[in-house]
Amino acid sequence: MSILFTLGAILITIGGICDLFGAIGLLKFPNFYVRLHAATVGTIGGAAVPLFGVALLALGTNIPNKYTIAGASLITGIIVLLAAPAGSTALAYAAHKSNAVEWKPKTDHLKEARK
Amino acid sequence: MSLGVVTLMKVILPLYVTAIILYTIRAIKGPTVPDIILAVDCMSFDIAAFMAILAVYFKSTYLITGAIILALWAYLLDVYIANHLTKKEVGA
Repeated sequence: MSILFTLGAILITIGGICDLFGAIGLLKFPNFYVRLHAATVGTIGGAAVPLFGVALLALGTNIPNKYTIAGASLITGIIVLLAAPAGSTALAYAAHKSNAVEWKPKTDHLKEARK
Repeated sequence: MSLGVVTLMKVILPLYVTAIILYTIRAIKGPTVPDIILAVDCMSFDIAAFMAILAVYFKSTYLITGAIILALWAYLLDVYIANHLTKKEVGA
């Protein structure tokens, strides 16, 4: 067991646990705007962290083409880290703009300010 | 070293399979369109990460090239649906 393999395995396990918690939250939360929080846990914690873990784990093993797998995992992790917040923000803006989501807020300061 | 990969796979396979099943339930019964798109988005990033783990497990480089395309495709889906919801059209 090399140190890179152990570090990668720890990161992948953390990612799996975050992914399960994000999925449970996405199923249990009441409306769309609250579900965005669970979706962030599920994408950043559940996809970006295990991809960086796979990059370290592939460097720790002695499989063929390990540098290809490590480099592509690192690139995919950076893409997920950039694309997931941008996509969630675009989707939240569109849902709020088109009134597609039923939600019952206690106070809505944005609506009061726009009157 | 192969024994470590097999043990890791036994630990994380139930976590990922349970998460993908729960995302699929939300994607099927989601009340509105943004809920469905959010669930499909999470599921795509999740499958991309799982494909990278499977690439190490099967010692294959073909799976990891699919993961890059899948991560980019999920972002494209988000942007197109947001464009459709705001402007009622998909295009430039």
